[in-house]
Amino acid sequence: MTDVFIVGAGMIKFGRYPDRTYFQLGAEAALMALDDAGLGIKDVGAVYASSTFNAASMLGQKILQQIGQTGVPCINVSNACASGASAVREAFTGIKSGLYDIVLVVGAEKNPSGMLGGSPVDGPPPEGLFGSVTMPALFAEAGMVHTNAYGTTLEQFAQVAVKNHHHATMNPKAAYQKETPLDMVLASEMIAYPLTKLMCSANVDGAAALVLVSEKRARELGMARAVRIRGSAMASDVFEPRSPEMLEPNSVTRLAAARAYEMAGVGPEDLDLVELHDCFATAEILHYENLGLCAAGEAGRMISSGETALGGRIPVNVSGGLLSKGHPIGATGVANMIEIVEQLRGEVGARQVSGARIGMTHVLGFGGSSAAGVHIFEKA
Amino acid sequence: MENSTLAKPGTKVVRVGPDGSAWIEGYRCQACGAVVTVATMACRSCTSRTPPAAFRATDHGKLFSWAVVHRSYPGIAVPFVSAIVDLDDGLSLKGTLRNVEANALRSGMPVVVVLDDAGGTHDKHGASYVGFHFVPEGAHA
Repeated sequence: MTDVFIVGAGMIKFGRYPDRTYFQLGAEAALMALDDAGLGIKDVGAVYASSTFNAASMLGQKILQQIGQTGVPCINVSNACASGASAVREAFTGIKSGLYDIVLVVGAEKNPSGMLGGSPVDGPPPEGLFGSVTMPALFAEAGMVHTNAYGTTLEQFAQVAVKNHHHATMNPKAAYQKETPLDMVLASEMIAYPLTKLMCSANVDGAAALVLVSEKRARELGMARAVRIRGSAMASDVFEPRSPEMLEPNSVTRLAAARAYEMAGVGPEDLDLVELHDCFATAEILHYENLGLCAAGEAGRMISSGETALGGRIPVNVSGGLLSKGHPIGATGVANMIEIVEQLRGEVGARQVSGARIGMTHVLGFGGSSAAGVHIFEKA
Repeated sequence: MENSTLAKPGTKVVRVGPDGSAWIEGYRCQACGAVVTVATMACRSCTSRTPPAAFRATDHGKLFSWAVVHRSYPGIAVPFVSAIVDLDDGLSLKGTLRNVEANALRSGMPVVVVLDDAGGTHDKHGASYVGFHFVPEGAHA
């Protein structure tokens, strides 16, 4: 089977776009990725479009209405916060199978405003009566498990936000480019202990696109800026005794990571940087261990020591992550791959991880059950 | 106000008997012992095609994890403690833990389930709902 390469990447600056539709945002990112690849929409054999809130509206076809209706297969993907990675995984599968040589993946989202999570049920409104189903509460509960087991502190969770907001100051496409020192993170509004507002992801609009090709096409187009997908893995959640009463972000991530490492033939020690799903600061701490970046119980020490900051042993979320670059949900999984692609090409300027050769992306989708996607990339 | 309408379950794990008595129900797989909160067609853990069997849950358990919620959806009173509790017979529940100070919360602390009137709400026919919350063992409901 052919290897699969990324030859085009494009994303818009994340933020709020009250006067534009999600498919206009997606079309803009798609054209940026095609231009980056030196290709046109007529070259594309299939389109996979991801959106958590708008996949059912035929997002991909609406994008093609904007940039050219070529009649190719167009599949719309929704898989909670793992939607973007799911679309890339399907594109990867399509090229691996030999069905397609060139595939366009677009993630686009206009998030609803306000706090996400939960859904109304028959009977009394459950929020507050039967605990909380807000996303901050779910990730606070998951984080407190780490605190209870290992003594991880509020300050250590907050240091994740300090780091990722700092990284975003070097990313012009991040929704926010503002330093948030530790005292500012700790003093911001408490949402669900131990999560303050600055430890929650930025709820914004955005779009991101990738062009995936077969090895034959990559060689024709030129390998100088090509990035090889060495591992592409998804997992659904396995049985956990407390789930779904409790969010269980760990085992599903570990399962996807194990599959990605096996496919790629590499281990955590081979990674030069990671973009992981820091939807909340607690999540980043949990995923250091879930992705094998450190041993069980070591994540608090790892953030405090600076190992995961730019310049550290294994930089994490150099883009600014979901906390500061932003989390337009269906676009998020595509956007974090773009950061890795541009890092491996050496094109990101001040936030460049020097000598980056192998990188990983991770997303976790949750909506009463879970999906995780882990991809491993290498400079071709 | 007269209300002869029987109370209804206010959330998925609550059951109300014909005499108005209420309890919390779980389901246990007869093959592997996995315990879940909802009826399924097969065991979601071991895949046994014998559906997990209903059982009446104990009201004693231990606090596993929690969030102290300071901001929720508009109109929801805060702060409150969103708690994950492992009941002693294996069922894990999410609920609100009342009558406890945030700095007193400890993983493993004994709690009890208190069935309640689910916030005092009623359906359009006047029926009340049965809900539940947790309190620390020894505290007043």
